[in-house]
Amino acid sequence: MSSSIPTHWDKEVDVIVLGTGGAALTAAVAASESGANVLVLEKTHQIGGTTAFSGGVPWIPLNHYMKEAGFEDNREDAINYIKRLALGRADDHMIETFVDKGHEVIRFLHDHTPVKFVTPKSYPEYYARMDEALKHGTRSLDPAPYDLNEIGEWGPLVRQNPLFPPLTLEEGGAVGGIDFQVVAERMQNNIVTMGRSLIASLFKACLDRGVETLIETAGKELIINEDGQVVGLIAETKVGEVLRIAARKGVVLASGGFEWNKQLVRAFLKAEFTHPVTPPGNEGDALMMAMKAGAALENMSEAWWYPAMVDPTFEYEDNVMAQLGSGRMGPNSIVVNKYGRRFVHEGTTYNDMPRSFFNYDPVKIEFPNEAPVWMIFDQQLKDSQLIVTMTPGDPAPEWVDQADSIRELAEKIGVDPDGLEDEVRKWNEYCEQGVDPDFHRGTIQFEALTNGGGSPANNLGKIEKGPFYALPIYLGALGTNGGPKINENGQVVNFRGEPIKGLYAAGNASGNPLGPIYPSAGGTIGPAMVFGFLAGQHAANS
Amino acid sequence: MMPQGTHTVDVPLDIQTIWNFVHDMNNWAPLVPGYIEHEILSDRRSTWAFKGDLGFMKKTVKLQIDIQEWNEPSEVTFDLKGLSDNFKGGGYFRAEAIDDKTTKMSGHLDITAGGMMGAMVNQILTKFVPQTAEELTEAIVEKLLEINLVK
Repeated sequence: MSSSIPTHWDKEVDVIVLGTGGAALTAAVAASESGANVLVLEKTHQIGGTTAFSGGVPWIPLNHYMKEAGFEDNREDAINYIKRLALGRADDHMIETFVDKGHEVIRFLHDHTPVKFVTPKSYPEYYARMDEALKHGTRSLDPAPYDLNEIGEWGPLVRQNPLFPPLTLEEGGAVGGIDFQVVAERMQNNIVTMGRSLIASLFKACLDRGVETLIETAGKELIINEDGQVVGLIAETKVGEVLRIAARKGVVLASGGFEWNKQLVRAFLKAEFTHPVTPPGNEGDALMMAMKAGAALENMSEAWWYPAMVDPTFEYEDNVMAQLGSGRMGPNSIVVNKYGRRFVHEGTTYNDMPRSFFNYDPVKIEFPNEAPVWMIFDQQLKDSQLIVTMTPGDPAPEWVDQADSIRELAEKIGVDPDGLEDEVRKWNEYCEQGVDPDFHRGTIQFEALTNGGGSPANNLGKIEKGPFYALPIYLGALGTNGGPKINENGQVVNFRGEPIKGLYAAGNASGNPLGPIYPSAGGTIGPAMVFGFLAGQHAANS
Repeated sequence: MMPQGTHTVDVPLDIQTIWNFVHDMNNWAPLVPGYIEHEILSDRRSTWAFKGDLGFMKKTVKLQIDIQEWNEPSEVTFDLKGLSDNFKGGGYFRAEAIDDKTTKMSGHLDITAGGMMGAMVNQILTKFVPQTAEELTEAIVEKLLEINLVK
């Protein structure tokens, strides 16, 4: 079991929250609001975790912003949609808890904290063409621009994704169409959006409630009494100082997933992904503590998958930065494996596409689509879209392979030239016919999300104008989403389904209670905030 | 708004000593913050690679420098342009004798990004460029003092 009860506590609080992402800070706000004395511990030198690095969007059915925008939603539709995507791998009562409580959490934050959202009217649901999906509007919520100066000296400590300009989702912050003049003005005035806005405004809510935060202080080990109740935590500062902290009411694990821990990745995931699209620091600390405390686990083989691309000239915290590469669903492009063959609808959601990397060929005894796979495109796409960091009109940088013929390009990148030539020929024929019988490009919402959805006009374009280009696509993730199993109160449960007293988890530090789904923008942060809130509230009232 | 910066230092060395060091790029190229490599292509042209530390990220850039003027012993001016990214600019080193043993040395740098992202990148460069001008000038002074054994 974990450490014995110390004879001396260095600090005593009601609730300890590990992490400073969306789940953690929402838990801290909820616990504090319920009267608890709350301490937040952050392992890294910055606050905000994966949330600050992200779009900061929670996906919340039935939220009041939707109603105000005139978008209709109802409980049964939301539940059925989640169930459809969860493929039977989520508990019904957890789905119902999320749908029933999520909008209340958003309402509370709106009414009682600086956390404000807008409804992105032109940003549909990812699966809007599915029968069970919301057809009109969106359940995603876009953090409103926020003045970072509001949190004073903490402002510069809010983690920043170098590739996300300070624009809202609707303004094009994550999908292109960017007004860089607005970006420059917001940078000058310290106005933040997306994940930084959500974190800064949540952090302000914490400051307003007297929540204490210690950075560069990692939770190391749970302290569990003889009754099996978590009563505290051993933490360690950057300089090695050990702190024994009592938690009279509970410990909330919300310190992110385990995507930066190679040993845990190898143990649990379907493949060893090489390119986490998250800040380093998510090393499975919470998972290891929960396992040691006897937690049941769920969703362990899953992650928020992402087909990552790389501009090798960008580094973030001493790693070449994996990026949310854009352009793959545009016309004049396909994605191929090492045989030069297409293997997936290139415009599926980022969570779905990498799942095709795991296909196994039992005859050849191999994973033919193992990353890196290759995005092949021509000058027409290069001239019309932002691709990774390449802007239209600028010369192609030296890190992009290019050639005057498809065959030469294939030889350059080590892909079967006959296969690629044949595949491009076939693709160009499909474009002439206006239909892709192999993988159905031009038929789903996500591949032209903000441009009316997939269509032959939007997504079928010949690869015919040289030079031709190739970019590798790697197996990446926006974090893992397997971890300790939680109940409707955010309590971690053991393998008998009993709560481990005093232990809570939320966000990527817990197993996703909705299963292996990514329903739309905010599919990660929505449940993270909702179950973070419930955990903080329950802990404070326990 | 053009991102630019000038840094001036009084150096306890005579102007010729400073010129002898500054006029040969090979002497001070490694002192450029984030220096990776450089290549002298001709008397006036060179290419450089360095990793710019923007605080929230690092960016490797390649650029070309063309010397515009050599005015011994007081001034070197140059133009620069990005080879890997869309930016251009220029700079100078200027030396002015205060007396036989003291020289006022100034380093200046201006860089302006172009293209779609220009306005945003220039906002980032507003802090980076003057910081780089200062760090480079200070590094050169430190090196000059070191090799001339000034305590």
